Amino acid sequence: MTRQQQSTVLFDALGPEGRKRANITSIISGVVILGLLGIAAYRLAAEGFFEASRWANPLDTLIIETTWIPSILDTLLAFVLGSIGALLIGVIVGFGRVSRFAGTRGVAATYVQFFRAMPLVLLIWISFTIDGHFGFTTDVLGWSNDMRRLTFLVLGLAIYNGAILAEILRSGFNALPPGQAMAGYAVGLRHGQVMRLIVLPQATRNMLPAVLAQLVILLKDTSLGYVITYPELLHSGYLIGLDYGNSFLQALVIAAFIYFVLAYALSKLVKVVERRMSRKTASSAKAVRQVENVATE
Amino acid sequence: MFDNFDLMVEGLWGGFVTTVWVTFASYAIALLVGATLAIMHVSPVAPARWAANAYTQMFRNVPLLAVLFIMFFGLPKVGISQENWVWALLGLGLYTGAFVGETLRSGINSIPLGQAEAARSIGLSFGQSLGNVVLPQAFRAVIAPLGSLLIALVKNSALVLAIGVRELTAEAQVLINDNQNRFNLWMVIIGVTVSYLIIAFAISYLVRLVERRAAFTR
Repeated sequence: MTRQQQSTVLFDALGPEGRKRANITSIISGVVILGLLGIAAYRLAAEGFFEASRWANPLDTLIIETTWIPSILDTLLAFVLGSIGALLIGVIVGFGRVSRFAGTRGVAATYVQFFRAMPLVLLIWISFTIDGHFGFTTDVLGWSNDMRRLTFLVLGLAIYNGAILAEILRSGFNALPPGQAMAGYAVGLRHGQVMRLIVLPQATRNMLPAVLAQLVILLKDTSLGYVITYPELLHSGYLIGLDYGNSFLQALVIAAFIYFVLAYALSKLVKVVERRMSRKTASSAKAVRQVENVATE
Repeated sequence: MFDNFDLMVEGLWGGFVTTVWVTFASYAIALLVGATLAIMHVSPVAPARWAANAYTQMFRNVPLLAVLFIMFFGLPKVGISQENWVWALLGLGLYTGAFVGETLRSGINSIPLGQAEAARSIGLSFGQSLGNVVLPQAFRAVIAPLGSLLIALVKNSALVLAIGVRELTAEAQVLINDNQNRFNLWMVIIGVTVSYLIIAFAISYLVRLVERRAAFTR
């Protein structure tokens, strides 16, 4: 609400002299920035970065069909399954965090504390390794390696992000004025009813932006499937780069660009939801900001 | 179970030290980058705002691993080579810097408008009102979020294993895959988990300490 104003109130509406000065600084800084970009582009061009063949090779129709598109689909598959898993775990653990029973709260708090401290890449890799060590999924369930890779990537994403979503859920509950629940009890609702009818709907609205922001992070984190050679985008870009040694950088840049497009589209969606949320009520906008503070990378 | 225990502890300790120094060194870079971005974001110079915005969008929407790959595997193809630890620090620092910048900016925005207005109305300049009034308050507001960024950075530092830096997770991989010394799988897992827990708890303790010292009443 004050976002635009804060930055403009810091300096006066400029007079003619000041405006001239501001324009000159703008032009100079613009030239400097463009100049830096130009130097970078020039150096890249000198090394043949922009040569058409280097871009055309990794974007061959055959490669697009056999590698890029399947890897995008694999990335999205891991993202969708991981998100569903994370949301499920997040809701269960989040409710555990605000449970009436101290034991449940303790277990949920331990889960959150533990998994928030672990690197996701470690979780994915360790669970995959332990399983490989004892051969449970390969020998007992007879899974293929592709199936195993998908499973443990999704498992890691779900367990880790579940802990963070649980924390978002809890702060969503806490950001709600306690009077809401009290009013529910006052009109004779039971605990479950208060949670289901009063707390959850309002809390959901408050934390939706934070949850969606976390899902953008989850999308980026699917790239960690690389450590267990899950065929996601980055891994494919790397393999294509190995095949076409001259296009190594180009293949990686293409992969990064596709990630950018996917994540950017998702975060635009977050912005739209955020705006619609903050339009609803002033108080919920404040609560949204409180919840947002929990969600960090 | 305790075969070669000393050797395992030695390996994990090496990884622990690497993780800690990589984390703090890249956090220093991130703070510098982030502060620059935040200043550019609120400055009256339009191209600076656009540049800061483009930078932030780029690093927020590309996975860190992709950044590290482009740096370590890609850039040598255009004649820019550095050792892997340099890329590790730069990659983590530049990436986290975008998030630090956003955090600082939201900290600046969280300061009531009246503060800046008051500063302006008693005649302080842009630099003065930012430096003496808004930023000191904004900094206190962002200590906790900056702390969570630091903890996130500890976790992200595990990704530099992909470019061959031997931090904790990489060290655990090496120990588990070591067929010669046959370290116990569970001991290594417990060791690496406890190490990460120690780092995370130490940092959150530190952050709370700083927060308490910087606390002020409005």
